[in-house]
Amino acid sequence: MTAWGRRRGWAAVRAIAALGLIVIATAQGRGYGRQREELCPGPIKIPYDGKWAFARVAFEPSSEAEYHDLKWNHDCPRAEMHFAKILKELTLLNPYMEGGAVFTLDDPDLFKYPFAYVSEPGYWTMTPQEVANARAYLLKGGFLVFDDFREYHWENFEEQLHRVLPDAKLVPLDVHNPVYQDAFFRMKSIDFQPPYGDWMPVYYGVYENNDPTRRLMVIANYNNDIGEYWEWSDTDYAPIELNNEAYKLGVNYVMYALTH
Amino acid sequence: MESIFAFLFKYRPFVFEKGHFALSAPWSMIGIVAFGVVVLGALSFSYTRVRGKSRWQDRVILGSIRAAALAVILFCLFRPKLMLSTVVPQRNFLGILIDDSQSMQIADQDGARSAFVARTLGSPDSALFKALAERFQLRFFRFSSTADRVADATQVRYTGRESRLGHSLEAARTELAGLPVSGLVVVSDGADNSGVGLTESLLALKGAGVPVFTVGLGRERFEKDIEISRVDAPRSVLLGTSLVVDLLVRQNGYRGSKITVFVEDAGRIVGSREVELPPDGQAAPVRVHFTVTEAGPRVFRFRIAPQAGELVTPNNQQDALILVNDRRDRVLYFEGEPRWEVKFIRRAVDADKNLQVVVLQRTAQDKFLRLSVDSANELIGGFPKTREELFRYRGLILGSVEAGFFTPDQLRMIADFVSQRGGGLLALGGRRSFSEGGYTGTSVADVLPVALGPRAGSDSMPFFAEMKVEPTPAGLSSPITQIGPTEEASAQRWKTLPELSTFNPIGTVKPGATTLLTGSGRDLRSRQAVLAYQRYGRGKSAAFTVQDSWLWQMHASIPLEDQTHETLWRQLLRWIVSDVPFEVTVTASRDRVSPGDPVTLTAEVDDDRYFRINNAVVTAQVVAPTGEKQTIPLDWTVSRDGEYRGTFTPKAEGLYAITVSGNQGSRALPPATAYVQATPLSTEYFDAEMHAPLLKRIAEETGGRFYTPATVSTLPEDVSYTQSGAAVVEEKDLWDMPILFLLLVGLVSAEWGYRRKRGLA
Repeated sequence: MTAWGRRRGWAAVRAIAALGLIVIATAQGRGYGRQREELCPGPIKIPYDGKWAFARVAFEPSSEAEYHDLKWNHDCPRAEMHFAKILKELTLLNPYMEGGAVFTLDDPDLFKYPFAYVSEPGYWTMTPQEVANARAYLLKGGFLVFDDFREYHWENFEEQLHRVLPDAKLVPLDVHNPVYQDAFFRMKSIDFQPPYGDWMPVYYGVYENNDPTRRLMVIANYNNDIGEYWEWSDTDYAPIELNNEAYKLGVNYVMYALTH
Repeated sequence: MESIFAFLFKYRPFVFEKGHFALSAPWSMIGIVAFGVVVLGALSFSYTRVRGKSRWQDRVILGSIRAAALAVILFCLFRPKLMLSTVVPQRNFLGILIDDSQSMQIADQDGARSAFVARTLGSPDSALFKALAERFQLRFFRFSSTADRVADATQVRYTGRESRLGHSLEAARTELAGLPVSGLVVVSDGADNSGVGLTESLLALKGAGVPVFTVGLGRERFEKDIEISRVDAPRSVLLGTSLVVDLLVRQNGYRGSKITVFVEDAGRIVGSREVELPPDGQAAPVRVHFTVTEAGPRVFRFRIAPQAGELVTPNNQQDALILVNDRRDRVLYFEGEPRWEVKFIRRAVDADKNLQVVVLQRTAQDKFLRLSVDSANELIGGFPKTREELFRYRGLILGSVEAGFFTPDQLRMIADFVSQRGGGLLALGGRRSFSEGGYTGTSVADVLPVALGPRAGSDSMPFFAEMKVEPTPAGLSSPITQIGPTEEASAQRWKTLPELSTFNPIGTVKPGATTLLTGSGRDLRSRQAVLAYQRYGRGKSAAFTVQDSWLWQMHASIPLEDQTHETLWRQLLRWIVSDVPFEVTVTASRDRVSPGDPVTLTAEVDDDRYFRINNAVVTAQVVAPTGEKQTIPLDWTVSRDGEYRGTFTPKAEGLYAITVSGNQGSRALPPATAYVQATPLSTEYFDAEMHAPLLKRIAEETGGRFYTPATVSTLPEDVSYTQSGAAVVEEKDLWDMPILFLLLVGLVSAEWGYRRKRGLA
């Protein structure tokens, strides 16, 4: 049995669930949280030098978040470091290689990075100023990717997104969408297994003016966590094929955002 | 001055000019000279012998005065004469050409200019008419575009819409050919709007020995007048273009006043500009901005409301015919690396229905993303490899792509795209652009408006500098970089835009290039060109040396509704594709003519690789406003490759549509369209002041003389001293000139006065 198979087995065991295992899992999560807190404790500024850089959005997590878990910093900074290496290797993009930048939505410097990544939008909250900035960011030409959320997280994500774009329609995207076909990789399927849980990923997008002939400005990887794949892609955490699929999604998102 | 001369010398200077000096003493010349020598010798001897109170200086002075008086007497004894050729009365003809154009109705002297003609040449009782009629057989002509014989001056109507002086003079000379002609008299304000030089006509007149006497009517400078003297408008633009048209406004009498220049499209005001008028006699350049919103041939009117006391008002407006094309011009944008410029340039021009930016994005080595292509095969092989493929586009944007990507043939083809095809090239800044992209010494470097030197930085440590971008004076008024509704608003907006950055330190722009934007920053040694352009061959090239103009859209300081980035890019790309020729282009010699005036059509014909072709069969179909169709064959001019020419004459007023089509062998050439508006033009009211220099030149070069109404009374006598026609030689005595008598009296008085002063009397 592969490592991936063993993890799936453990998930099944957790589903049958003994309280002790849940506690262990939670404890492990808090452990990762502390590690993340040390590496991505808050906004990270990088000098603007004309390079493309991975921008992560920091926010105040909702009260439902576990203690010490900032949520937005999941997989930071290993995910962006690995992703930048992939971009550098596969494309002619000239990315910032030392990880990425982290901005709150009310940070004016965010606007120098029109591609931004939001992790755990199930716990996303915004101040009125952040709402206004997020709206301006998207309508001016920015592109937001939401990742690492599932099940009931949707309600909060949708609610917050509608604070930014009240009329936004979240449209399911299939593999035939140009973002999956033309941007860089011609993907055969986007229905690959998330790194944990039994949910089937669903991809949603928001078009500019809700017009499918215009650009996508928001993509949500609901029931998926491609950042998790990126983070652990240098380990045997998941099969290489799945890591590849996660990278393909990310590369296509970046290339699409850069050209549309 | 002339009258004083005539008083002293008995005759006017003109008579001296026309005559030859001669001596005709009734006695022996030798005897007179001998007599003078004897008298002079005796004089000298007597003065040298005199003694007494006088010093030797006194004797020299008195002797000189006496000798001078003797010389005057001797000169008179020689009996000097002026020999003049004078016409035989009534044996010669005099052609009188009266300006029949509208400008003669301008009342800038004692009444209208035409009133002078009526008072003098139009009235047999006038002194001038009588004096001329006594000496000559008079033949009257009226002239505007040509000269027509009329019975007398009363038949001149002053309705001509143009003045063609040279052509009219030749026509009159031809009409009088074979007759003894003493000269031609031109009565005119001197306006010549034929656009043709006079030299040939004047040489012909001089060769025929026909002097031209010119009478200038009107003031050389109006007291109060405003004129739109020039309109520089493009012949064709894309629909929706924010157009900038340059006018030249001249004025007298309204210095410092503020007036408004209006732009009208079919009576609807589409633009305006307030102008402070320059000092009297000076011309002020005025730039007006407006947007063309209606497709098709449009007549735009540029108008200044008549001002109080203004003498001539028809010159307050000018019309321009502009063909507004509702087509979609295609620009190829080749970007060598994924970067934000692609997205934001596409977004900026996305709403522009007349621009299509076809993107070829290199995303990885040998991997390309094609966007906004028309067909599945377009650019399927990457960057075009043939002229036909590249030259289909009207504009080319080179992004951050290294010169080494292209083959030498492709680099040459890009240069030819500009120089031969006439396309517009825009090179963007980037890691792989300009010197940093290895373009120094390539064919493309020759085309660019900026000078390329050695590469700055390295792959691991590229040059990078942030800079504040500012417009130059040329940029402030350029239609490309005007980002506000007015120049002032635009200048203000430029000050507030955030900094951009560059990977390319640009040293200098090439001579002849125009810099519109410059940048300065702490990492730059000096201010460097950010946006510069130049004409190159048939086309034009521009360099935009920043790498992140998208920040002018995305930056936090830019309001969401701000249109600066969109406006700049739309204007820039529209300018890049403006005036880019098609395979076949047609231009009319004048796009606005008076009915009856011939129009020359010139077609330039290329094949689809934009090589000139001389063996095509080219015709122009002209559709009159009445619907009548006329086919005009256009013939190869031989003098220039690919140039074909033909002529038609619009008869009726209205718009004439011209479609040029043709074939090269079995291949049909794509048609080209142009328009000509036939309308009564009011060119006579422009530059309508009296042109004395031109009239003087005509007189001087043909042996005639220039007059004004104040001096014209001497015209009959002056004309009579001509060698043309039937003439006799007349002798005029000069010994009795008052100047000689006065000189003699003066010398004697001087001698007497000197003696009195010295006590020698």
